[in-house]
Amino acid sequence: MGVDQMVESPFVLTNLDKLVGWARKNSLWPVQMGLACCAIEMMATAASRWDMARFGAEMFRASPRQADLMIVSGRVSQKMAPVVRHIYDQMLEPKWVISMGDCASAGGIFNNYAIVQGVDKIIPVDVYVPGCPPTPDMLLFGLMKLQEKIARQKAIDPHQTGEKA
Amino acid sequence: MNFFPVFVYFILVVGFAGLMTGLTLLLGSLNKHPTPDKLMPYESGMIPIGSARVRIPIHFHLIAMLFLVFDIEVAFIYPWALIFKSLGLMGVIEMFVFIGILLVGFLYALKRGAFVWE
Amino acid sequence: MSDLLVTIIETIIKGAIVIGVLMTSFAYMTWLERKLVGRFQLRPGPNRAGPFGLLFPLADGIKLFLKEDFVPVGADKVTFFVAPLISIVTALLAFAVIPIGPTINIFGYELHPIIANPNVGILFILAIASLGVFGIVLAGWSSNSKFSLIGALRASAQLISYELAIGISIISVILIVGNLQITQIIEWQAKNVWIVLLQPVAFIIYFLSALAETNRAPFDMPEAEHELTAGYHTEYGGMRFALFFAAEYINIVTVSAIATTLFLGGYLGPFVDQFPILGFLYFALKVFLCVFVFVWIRATLPRVRYDQLMSLGWKYLIPIAIAWLMITAVGVVWLGGSAPK
Repeated sequence: MGVDQMVESPFVLTNLDKLVGWARKNSLWPVQMGLACCAIEMMATAASRWDMARFGAEMFRASPRQADLMIVSGRVSQKMAPVVRHIYDQMLEPKWVISMGDCASAGGIFNNYAIVQGVDKIIPVDVYVPGCPPTPDMLLFGLMKLQEKIARQKAIDPHQTGEKA
Repeated sequence: MNFFPVFVYFILVVGFAGLMTGLTLLLGSLNKHPTPDKLMPYESGMIPIGSARVRIPIHFHLIAMLFLVFDIEVAFIYPWALIFKSLGLMGVIEMFVFIGILLVGFLYALKRGAFVWE
Repeated sequence: MSDLLVTIIETIIKGAIVIGVLMTSFAYMTWLERKLVGRFQLRPGPNRAGPFGLLFPLADGIKLFLKEDFVPVGADKVTFFVAPLISIVTALLAFAVIPIGPTINIFGYELHPIIANPNVGILFILAIASLGVFGIVLAGWSSNSKFSLIGALRASAQLISYELAIGISIISVILIVGNLQITQIIEWQAKNVWIVLLQPVAFIIYFLSALAETNRAPFDMPEAEHELTAGYHTEYGGMRFALFFAAEYINIVTVSAIATTLFLGGYLGPFVDQFPILGFLYFALKVFLCVFVFVWIRATLPRVRYDQLMSLGWKYLIPIAIAWLMITAVGVVWLGGSAPK
């Protein structure tokens, strides 16, 4: 493919990667999905006072096909795990995940059989946000860290999984 | 000849839309990574059960039928409105009779509950 | 033969400008809406990319182009490809007969800022606008998803219901003017008054129906997130989804432009006779005002229920529109000769 060769030549590569990284980091549309109490803080993040819209991330898309970012907001029960995984699978590449709160990151206070001990057991996580629940400021900080990460990534196959079409 | 520019513009617009779709086909293939789960229709994270082409409530058909009737009414009124000034009082009376007949049908549909949505 | 060539070249140039302006206005309407809704909710809105966040539409565009290309399994592939095309083509096409300014003279060449001026301009707009339903229905049916199908059904029922109200409210305008050609309607308003002063009820009915016709809040049932995910474009991602989005926003511009042309005097305003170039400014300003009201209504009103939506259309708007049509007819005959031709 012509575009493939053009994109893979190192000269064009860096500038194109920078441009695409900039575009992606400023257009992170999250999936409209809340699992538990952290979701309330997530809504507060999108509301006034904290205003996630400043980063262009207030466009919560109801359909995962149109979303780029999954904010796992709250504990993932064993019953919910396949659903979360399915929604993650149905998002279109490229996609990123923020694990929000102690429970999503490591099980938190729910150290028992009913809760998945960390959502990274089922989906790859880019940024972990600690807290029970994290304040909106912390989620925003996590979002900015993710933006820094995305800005460094490549235009094609940003996660460097080596899988290509 | 009046519509010839529209035709040219139509070709231009179709070309533009085709370009956009072609670009997304080309650029979208760069990050393509289909998996069986991704290709499934979205149903809030659940596995879809049964066909997506389900049976449709009868109300939509009723609305479609009523739309046909009233759209034809509107289509009849347009030419009348165009030459209305030269018709004078007689034109108004004739159109009132026409609309009156249609209003009877409208009232019938209203009474039979065609617009009640449950 | 050379006449034909001149027409073709002129149309291509005008058409390219119109497409460019419409697509740019789509991109910046998303920015405007996010910014305005932000201000309405006491937050600053997007502001990180570029000054005042002006580069956000560009970022969204680049990202959407590079999103993965996707067709769900079991979908009707050809229809799935064609549906967004129908939406965007009809949305762009309807603008062809709207004059965006007065006729201006450039180096002795008469330039009409309108792509085509057929004598049935209004009928052309109505016909093209109703074709837009096909894009939505085909998108919903071809996606092989229940959300899409139900969203498309709701959307089509809503669109055809409110199309009637739009059609009837425009007839009231025709009754007064007696012409279907859009430039003639503007000339009539230049000689007399803006039609909105004679037809306030028709204008309100037109505006309410236009809200429903473009799937805007409070009538955005086809995209009711809480029950239908994203409605008919649930399975569309990347640029294909953006084409639907673009069609929706261009439709808003188009209905605003029609409202401006038919009711608010189009490009008319003070000093247009002396400086025709001002006409473009007035036209843009009036369209912008209408668009602003669209966003304002979205930020203010909650979504209505589906049965309320249908009963508003059928039980209230259509009968009121017909009654107003009759009142207008009687009024025009009553005034008789004194009514301006």
